[in-house]
Amino acid sequence: MNFMKIAWFEYRRRIRSKWFIIGTFGMPILILLISLGTGYMAGSGAGIETKYFGLIDETAYFGAKLSEALDQRYVTGETPALDIAVIEGYYSELQLQYDTLVEEKILDGYFVIPFDFSEKPEVRFYGRSSSNIRLTVVIETELKDILVQKRAENLNLPLETLEDLFFDIDINHYKLGEAEEQEINELVADYIAPFIFMFLLFLGIFTGGQLLLRAVLEERSSRVIEVLLSTVSYNDLMGGKILGLGLLGLTQSAFYLLVVVLTGYYYDLSIVTPTIGFLYFVYFILGYLLYAGIYIGVGALFDSEQEAQQAIQIITFIAVIPMILWTIVIENPNSSLVNALSYIPPVTPFFMMIKIAVGETTVTQVVLTLTIMIISVFGSIRLAAKVFRTGILLYGKRITLPEILRWIRA
Amino acid sequence: MIELHQISKQYDSIKAVDRLSLNIHAGRICGFLGPNGAGKTTTIRMLMDIIHPDSGSILFDGSSKRPPSNQIGYLPEERGLYQKISIHETLLYFAHLRKVKNADQKIKKYLDRFGLGDRLQSKINELSKGNQQKLQFINTILHDPQYVVLDEPFSGLDPVNQLLLKEILEEMKAAGKTIIFSSHQMDQVEKVCDHVAMIDQGKLILAGTLQEIKKSHGDTLLQVIPENEADLTHQFFKDHDAQVRSGAAYFQLEGQNKQNLINELNATFDLKVVRVAEPGLEDIFIRLIKGIQA
Repeated sequence: MNFMKIAWFEYRRRIRSKWFIIGTFGMPILILLISLGTGYMAGSGAGIETKYFGLIDETAYFGAKLSEALDQRYVTGETPALDIAVIEGYYSELQLQYDTLVEEKILDGYFVIPFDFSEKPEVRFYGRSSSNIRLTVVIETELKDILVQKRAENLNLPLETLEDLFFDIDINHYKLGEAEEQEINELVADYIAPFIFMFLLFLGIFTGGQLLLRAVLEERSSRVIEVLLSTVSYNDLMGGKILGLGLLGLTQSAFYLLVVVLTGYYYDLSIVTPTIGFLYFVYFILGYLLYAGIYIGVGALFDSEQEAQQAIQIITFIAVIPMILWTIVIENPNSSLVNALSYIPPVTPFFMMIKIAVGETTVTQVVLTLTIMIISVFGSIRLAAKVFRTGILLYGKRITLPEILRWIRA
Repeated sequence: MIELHQISKQYDSIKAVDRLSLNIHAGRICGFLGPNGAGKTTTIRMLMDIIHPDSGSILFDGSSKRPPSNQIGYLPEERGLYQKISIHETLLYFAHLRKVKNADQKIKKYLDRFGLGDRLQSKINELSKGNQQKLQFINTILHDPQYVVLDEPFSGLDPVNQLLLKEILEEMKAAGKTIIFSSHQMDQVEKVCDHVAMIDQGKLILAGTLQEIKKSHGDTLLQVIPENEADLTHQFFKDHDAQVRSGAAYFQLEGQNKQNLINELNATFDLKVVRVAEPGLEDIFIRLIKGIQA
C-alpha cells in the first residue's frame, strides 16, 4: 500500500501549508470583500465624474424642459453623470464659441436641438470623442418623453388618457409546480449558480493540477525522485501523487461547495440539489484525472518551473474557453455549438456542469460524456505514465517531441 | 554479493553501459570510479531497479529477483531530500515507506550520533550543506539495508564528520553489508575502499583490490618539488612527460634512468624535495583514462 502512504504524505503536508490554508479560506472572503467593495463604490458614485455638456436650444422650449427632467433624474447627494448648460440661440451664431469651449476642454461636448425638432425629432451632438455614447442615450430618452408629452398636449388629451397610454409591464416568474412568485435574488441565483459550479470545478481541478506539477518538479530538481524510485515503483509514486493532490483539490472544492450551500440557505435558496452535488464530484474526479495526466507528463519533461508553466499555459488556455462562453451556455444550453463542445474531453466537465445546473441535459448525454471522459482519462494517465517513466530521470537535457513520441510508442 | 552479468544499456545512439560484468562482495566496500559520463549513474540506476538493462542480468546474492526495497539504501549525489519539511517528518516518511519498525527510536539514535538530536523539528532548507548531507546519509541507512549505494557521501562534510561516516561504514562492512562507493575524490576512495572498479565509456577497465591495482598498474613515480614553483612551467618537465599538479612534478620511472634524471634535475633547478613515491589511485585513474582517450 505504498501508494496510499505517498498519497497521505502529499495530502498531509500540503493541507497544513500556510498558503494552502490562506488560499482556501481567503478566497471566499476575498470574493465577498470585492463584491461588497465594488457594490459600495458603484453606489457611492466614486469613480464617476460629472460630464459637462452645452446645449444650444433653437426651439427655446425643449432645453428648459430637459434641464428640469435631468434635475429630477439625479437626486441630490449623488454625483450626477452629466450636467447640461442650456443656452437659447442658434447654432450658426454659437458654433465657433462652443467649438472652442469643447476644444479647451471646458465642455465635454454640446448638443444642438434644431428649430424644427417638434416635427423632425433629431438632435445633433458635437464632441471630442465617442466615449459619451452611453450618456447621450440619457438625453435621447428624456427628450423623447418630453416630445411625446408635448404632442399629447397638442392633441388636447386628458391627463388620465396619458397615464393610460404610458405604463411599464412586469413579468412575474414562476417555477413549474410552484405557486409562489420567484423573487429577484432567486432569479439571479438561478442564473449565477451554474457559473459558480463551473468556476469551482475549474478552480479545484487546476489547483490539484498545479500542485501536482510542482510536486513532480520539486522531486525532480531535488533528486528526491531517485531515493523514492529506489524505494517504491513508478506506478505507486505517480498514483500516490495523483490521489493525494486530487484529494486536496476535492477538499478545497467541498469546502467551497459548502460555502455555496450555506449562502443558499441564508437567502432561502436551494442551489445545490443532491443530483448536482453528486455529478459535480463525478465530473470533478474525471476532469482532474484527465488534467493530472497532462500535468504529470509536463512535470516530468522540464527542469525549471518556468518552462513547465509556459508549456502548461497552452493547455490551461483551452480550459478557459468555457469560462468565456458561460453566458452563452447558460442562455442556450442546447445549442448545437454547446452540445458539440460538451463532447470534447478537456472542456466536457465544465460545459456539462453548466448544463446540469440549468437542468438542460439528458441522461443519455450524461452517460455519453462520462464514457468519453473515462476513456480519455485512461488514455491520459497511460501516456503520462510512459512519459513520466522516461522523462523524470533525464535532467538538464532538452527533450524533443520526436523523443517523447518514441517513448509513448515504446 | 551483487553480480552484474554483461549488462548493457543504450540511450538513442549512445551506449551508456556496454556489456559490463562485475562482482561486488558482501562485507567489503567497493569503490566505483570513472570519469564523467562513463556510465556510473546508469549502472547505479540499474542496480536500484530504477531503469532496466537492455540485456544482461543482475543477481543479488545469487537471485535474479530484486530484494525488497527496504533491503536497499541509495544516497544520490547531492540533495535528495525534500526542502520544506522537517527532519523528523522526512525520515519518518521514508522509514514508513520502507516498513521500518521502531522508526522514531532509530531516527533519534542516528540524529544523536551525528549531533543533530536537537534539530528534529528543523526544516531541511534551514540546515547547512554538511548537515543536509548527514541527514541524507541517515536516510540511506536508517532501515539497515543489506545493499548500500553511496554517491559522493563525503560531499560537504568536515573532517570530523568524515571520520564518523567512515566509522559507520566500517561497522556496516563488519556487519556483512554490500557497499558500493562512487566518488571522484580518489583520496577518499583510497581511505575507505577495499575493492575498486573503474569504468569508462560503459566498459570495465579495471577491477581488483586496492593493493593489487597499485601493484599491477602503479609504477613508482619520482616526485619533484622545486624551491621555486614557477620552475614547474619549464620545458624540461614537458620533454620528460612529467605530470605537473599541486606544486609538484611526477616522473614515470619506467624506462628512465633514475639517477640520470635526478642529476639532470639537480643541474637545472634548485630543488626542495625529490623522492620516490608510491602511485596514488589518482595517478592510475588519470593514466588509464588518458590512455583510453588518446
